Amino acid sequence: MAESGAANWFVMGVDLGSTTAKVAIVDAAGAMVGSKIVQMGAVSREAVRVAMESALEDAGITQDDIVRTISTGYGRKLVPSDKTFTEITCHARGAAALFPGVRLVIDIGGQDSKAIAVDSDGLVDRFAMNDRCASGTGRFFDVLSRALEVPIGEVGDLAMAGSNELEVSSMCATFAETEVISLLAQGAETADIAASVHKAVAARTLGLVAQVGKASPVVMTGGVAKNRALVHFLSEALRLPIEMLDEPQIAGAYGAAIIAREEHLGNVALAAADDATATQFAAGLADAVPHCADCDGQLGLHTNHGPVPVTIATRPMVGARSGGREL
Amino acid sequence: MSLDVSSREPVELLSTRDRTLDAVDKSNRLSSTKTGGKMVAEYWENIFTAKERGKHVVWYNGTALNPIFQAAGLEWCHGEAFSARLAAMHLEGPAQAAGEEYGYIGELCSYARTHLGCAVMTQKGITEKQNGIVGMVDQEELASKLPSPDFFVNAYAGCSTGQQWDAMTYRVFGKEFPIFNVSLPMIWGNKKDAGYLRGSEWEKTPLYVEEQLKKLIEFIEYQTKRPFDWDALSENMFYIKRASELRLEAMALCAAAPTPATYWDWVASIAPINFMPANQALVDYFQGVKDEIQYRLDNTISAVQNEKYRVYFDGIMNWNKLGWLTRKFAEYDVAVVAGRYTHDSFWQEPQLIDLDRPLLGMAQHYLICPINHGLKIMEELLIKRCDEYGIDGIAFHSTRTCRAMTNPQHILARTAETERGIKSFFFEGDVADAAFYKDESLESGLVAMLESIDMQRSRALV
Repeated sequence: MAESGAANWFVMGVDLGSTTAKVAIVDAAGAMVGSKIVQMGAVSREAVRVAMESALEDAGITQDDIVRTISTGYGRKLVPSDKTFTEITCHARGAAALFPGVRLVIDIGGQDSKAIAVDSDGLVDRFAMNDRCASGTGRFFDVLSRALEVPIGEVGDLAMAGSNELEVSSMCATFAETEVISLLAQGAETADIAASVHKAVAARTLGLVAQVGKASPVVMTGGVAKNRALVHFLSEALRLPIEMLDEPQIAGAYGAAIIAREEHLGNVALAAADDATATQFAAGLADAVPHCADCDGQLGLHTNHGPVPVTIATRPMVGARSGGREL
Repeated sequence: MSLDVSSREPVELLSTRDRTLDAVDKSNRLSSTKTGGKMVAEYWENIFTAKERGKHVVWYNGTALNPIFQAAGLEWCHGEAFSARLAAMHLEGPAQAAGEEYGYIGELCSYARTHLGCAVMTQKGITEKQNGIVGMVDQEELASKLPSPDFFVNAYAGCSTGQQWDAMTYRVFGKEFPIFNVSLPMIWGNKKDAGYLRGSEWEKTPLYVEEQLKKLIEFIEYQTKRPFDWDALSENMFYIKRASELRLEAMALCAAAPTPATYWDWVASIAPINFMPANQALVDYFQGVKDEIQYRLDNTISAVQNEKYRVYFDGIMNWNKLGWLTRKFAEYDVAVVAGRYTHDSFWQEPQLIDLDRPLLGMAQHYLICPINHGLKIMEELLIKRCDEYGIDGIAFHSTRTCRAMTNPQHILARTAETERGIKSFFFEGDVADAAFYKDESLESGLVAMLESIDMQRSRALV
């Protein structure tokens, strides 16, 4: 519950994933004062409502105390909010706040998986997502637990008790189920199958990490982070320790709340419509995204491009999102 | 804000083919490209009647050999072009089903398997005629309308599937028609003096290809029993050179911000520059495109309302999704201004074309196919385009069944980030198979990249 008098406004982050709704409430000082995780089926609007109400109750405040809400996650567009951000941005911010100094976030949720390289300020540097295949996601482990007839919460423990020497060639969730059944038919132990599948998923996640570059400290977020076998095998594959959060599922919602707070404070204000701000913005752009001034918009044949700042004249669109300049 | 979530619209889970974007269309495509659409439709309609007109028909893929075929009085069927046309019209299904029935699985290049399906359907049509049994193939299906070939020419740069594809098509037709192969070596670019259009490798390799093109012409003369018309080839290359110059001049105008035309307009202009007959109409088409772009520049008409981000597109086009992607990117204030497929392909170096020695310039163009370079050259070209067009981010279309295009993409992403601080994202899709595209994946990646760019920009303000 929020301490009396500690803050007079609050922001909310809502992460509606494919299987779970998560809500975090942050006060004016940036402290998380309430949170809730609710699992009520696929992209459940009812789960959002319950999670929001419970988080408000946890924080000891009412909806009227919330000055800004940002939603994220697979179902973010379903959530009543002031703005949406992708889970990539939110998980990075949340993980960086929960584990300062983190440089690599691996988020494995119910429907997808991501590797996010984070810079020294906790902002997204690079990211990679899984393709449309469910391999290595929470869904994949659902399929595994069903095939092994083991509750999802126990499949990690089962894997830790097994040997990972079996060859699991298919990473497609559907085919993997077939393959697991085939291994069972050959008399393989369920623990060995579970361990081998976890190892194979770790190897695939390693491929995702390779796309953004290996870095440490590594933090895992998302529901699959609770699977200690996957954390173990992934740590082995990365040859790096994986830092665990107390509640890895809340990272996205917390990140959304942090952004909501920053936006409310005006820390990430967009460029305003007036010319002075536009000029300042363009100067900033020049530092952020240098371009070759020798080309200056011309398709010349020279190839020795230098990192020379762009000028305002070549990029007159700044400030346009605020409805400012008409061009 | 209310906790009432009941009024929110549910997430749309239909296929993108079955729905349209709810958002207002913020794209503003060129109208002049419609002329190209008409030209292309007429071209194919003409091809379908080639046999009735007693013409020799050649099937080929990849490399733009059409000026040679045109000079030889042939009618030419470009495999990818027809596959792309079917996909863009959402009519690829029957061909892909025919290909699948023949044994070509979904992991094979979707251009190839669509075209192989067309071959299967065309071959069945021949069998019907021989047997006197009609109705085996529904002649109303566009995919079944290609005229059977008199011979094949294979000249595919940078893609192993390209060679195997023609070899398979040759077998689909029972090896009854001859095939000629032109070998196009990869430009590795790994020697000390190597670079785009420079170095000893670049000096030598086109000569090897030029010699093969001479042999190809001898082969065509043998097949057609007619002497080759070298003057006609020079004339064809004159028109192509001029059309290419106009195309590049028009592209250069799009370095302006906001851009008057986008990558999607250049995608719509691929067919004319890639395989349309070389003639004054081709030149007129690109003159029309350039004029419209110049008009837009003069009158401050932008191709995307409220352009805020300038994005480069790397990957072959997802033909099923041309209209969808055009609107999708515009919805997020993104102007896709250039791409590897459009800007580094299709007679993109017209100064190389010497009308007195056309085969050398043609050979050079066949070798600078954007999947036929080593990484060093690809990196050089990517950075060049990013600088020219003031690129903020890159959309990498991870073209599921085109390994040749996707192989270098992760390194290119890293290069753009390292060299210019340019953000990027990847999304899955395919050239002619809509099943590989997932809208949520594109949207998540695109928006996450834009969020990173916003953050990059706001940090620069501090």
